Amino acid sequence: MKTVISSPLRDVRASASALAVGAALYGAAVTPAAAWSYKEAAEPYKGTTISILDEVTPLQEIFATIIPQFTEETGIKVNYQLLNHFEVINRGQADMLSGRGEYDAVMAHGVQYGLLLDAGVIEPIDDMMADAALMNPDLDLDDLISPAFESLSKFDGKLYGFLLWNYNMVYWARQDLLGNDAEKAAFEEKYGYPLAPATTLSELYDISEFFTRSAGETLAGETLADDFYGIVLEGINGGTTYAPLWYVFIRNLGGNIFDEAGVPTFDTPEVIEGLKQWSALWKFAPPGQAEYSLIDVPTVMGNGIAAQTIAWSDFVLGIDQPGASALSGSFLYAAPPGTGDGTYSSAGEPSAYVISSASKNPEATFLFFQWAIDKMTQKTFLSGGIGVPIRDSSWDQLITPDNRLAPLYEAMKGSLEGVTAAPKAPRMLEILDVFNRNAQQVGLGQMTPEEGAKAMQAGVSAICNPCFLQ
Amino acid sequence: MTATDTPPAGAASASPPRLAHHRESRWYPYALIAPTMITLTVVALIPFLYMGYISLHEARYGQLRDFIWFQNFATLLADPRFWNSMWVALVFVCIAVPIEFMLGLIGALLLSQKIRFRNVLIPLLFIPSMMAPIIVGLVWKTMLAGSWGFVSYNILENFGILKETSIFASPDLALYGIIFVDIWEWTPFMMLTFFAGMQALPVNPYWAAAVDGANPVQIFFKLTLPMLAPLLFVIGLLRLIDAFKVYDTIFILTNGGPGTATESPSVLGYKYTFDFWNIGQSSALAVVIWLIFFIFCNIFYQVAKKRLNVF
Repeated sequence: MKTVISSPLRDVRASASALAVGAALYGAAVTPAAAWSYKEAAEPYKGTTISILDEVTPLQEIFATIIPQFTEETGIKVNYQLLNHFEVINRGQADMLSGRGEYDAVMAHGVQYGLLLDAGVIEPIDDMMADAALMNPDLDLDDLISPAFESLSKFDGKLYGFLLWNYNMVYWARQDLLGNDAEKAAFEEKYGYPLAPATTLSELYDISEFFTRSAGETLAGETLADDFYGIVLEGINGGTTYAPLWYVFIRNLGGNIFDEAGVPTFDTPEVIEGLKQWSALWKFAPPGQAEYSLIDVPTVMGNGIAAQTIAWSDFVLGIDQPGASALSGSFLYAAPPGTGDGTYSSAGEPSAYVISSASKNPEATFLFFQWAIDKMTQKTFLSGGIGVPIRDSSWDQLITPDNRLAPLYEAMKGSLEGVTAAPKAPRMLEILDVFNRNAQQVGLGQMTPEEGAKAMQAGVSAICNPCFLQ
Repeated sequence: MTATDTPPAGAASASPPRLAHHRESRWYPYALIAPTMITLTVVALIPFLYMGYISLHEARYGQLRDFIWFQNFATLLADPRFWNSMWVALVFVCIAVPIEFMLGLIGALLLSQKIRFRNVLIPLLFIPSMMAPIIVGLVWKTMLAGSWGFVSYNILENFGILKETSIFASPDLALYGIIFVDIWEWTPFMMLTFFAGMQALPVNPYWAAAVDGANPVQIFFKLTLPMLAPLLFVIGLLRLIDAFKVYDTIFILTNGGPGTATESPSVLGYKYTFDFWNIGQSSALAVVIWLIFFIFCNIFYQVAKKRLNVF
């Protein structure tokens, strides 16, 4: 029987001791007298309690352990609440749109910005940045990873927060299979080029086809007791299926779902080709792919029934851990397949805290924002060797010979070079609903790619045209 | 009358008349139901009226905008997705509720017999109905998830019953999978409710039937079923309304997919509200659903009252 992993959320205790060391280093580093300090800046707000709503992933679970450092230093208490992806969107938006102000700040995904800006319920931080008493002069915003930061937080000449969660997707495959001599020889004989991590969409297809085997066939010298699948992708309706489909398949084929003015372009030849190439992979995937969410995909990889995927890197962190999967240590990572010429688009979802217009504590919240992305805080956060960097300077801390996950961070680095935030369309969640629903039907073979593209174009055009915030 | 026969002062001559006076007051019945009516007005009537008010407005992002008369209703009724959701609910209700009803009735009849371990069985039967629907969804996802679900892998795939797809990934099977989960969850509740009703039936008619030589089938159709009819109708109606509103298990298992194969009106309403933030449209949907049930329940009530004499 296969091993079933109930959830990719992992035990973060392993990194707790490293964090303790990091916290000690942090305390030592920020204490020396400086012209500007969080302690001094926070003096007027001492004793204030701010409420922050964030998404629960392994990253936030680690981040939660160092937030007491902020309180200790500034005297500002933080009510830090974690909810799942969909809940943080729904509850956070409900709070901001209703003006209730239960939360001073909410973690907002790129796809939410258009709606929040259009509704006028989030506050720009430019005025506070111009306040010398509040703004850390050494924050070094140029170090924040772009184009993710720029495309996410800037709109109409104003800044609405700092990049904090740099969700991105990586190519994730079985090293023990792609590195197997017999499989390598058989692959090269069949396809005429060496077996290696896919760098193009056609290579992704070939590897998927090659490794799809039935029970009784051999795989890496062993007879399979169960069917084995060449690839697994997210396919659920209403999930984040759009991310790889849009950014990896469609954009790397030269298409996009909007033109520069925000006019829907779902029925272009490039988008249809992207849908074709994406849906062609479904026949190499496990039968339940249409119900797989961003949690199921890493679970399937951890169970060892698929050869490769394109998955959210923060969830990879939950599987490639000793004890989390029997295959831990047997994986390889790379940036998602692109055009093959070195320039590519990658799937990601840069996210940040935004200040609610109903917040009664914007200044204290702004100080927390700065502290969260501060180099020292990020150093502490990443000191356990687990995390997704938001600063270019953080890569050196993670990509080291003694970090077991260094190949994953190399892949993240490559991925983030091609990640941009979703365009600011007020009705983006409705657009993605049309996109996801029809794409799923194309994947299941209920529609041809042409029919799917036509349905998407009609569905989205009925919602908005053009779709971007003006 | 002796001294000991004399009632205590005021016992018979003061209190009862005062009480009787209150009871005769025209306001007395209203005073008794006032707490309930006030509560219902605050928690049900006012929100409902406000919802109706919102449904006549352009309301996005939680902000009430223009008064647009019945435009939200027109948009809703012209949306194929709405009609698909009504079809999903209809199929769901028409299959799940009768099966739950029949299995519940059969189970209740079995429980009424002096079967062994009945005292152990009855508490166990409560478990599915006591679980939060979200937990029910998670339990069955773990059982039926494609390729890694316990039942999917060990039975459906290993025995070649379902290899090319999985229950919740198949547009043809997903709704039936959800119906199966609903039957699993609610049949024990129906069974226990009917069983409790049977326990409360008078025994004299059964003795008379036994004296007359009636067989078990005759006893069931001529005695048990007619005497249980009011309970059966009420429970059936409540279950029907509840099944029409199914949301939680769908949200966990398929989120309305594949495509829109399992998108019930409640799931669609959730998407209108929290994904699209189109509160006007979701209010219109809620009003339409209420209207359907208002008409249906009235017809149901009148039929039950006049033809079956159960109320």
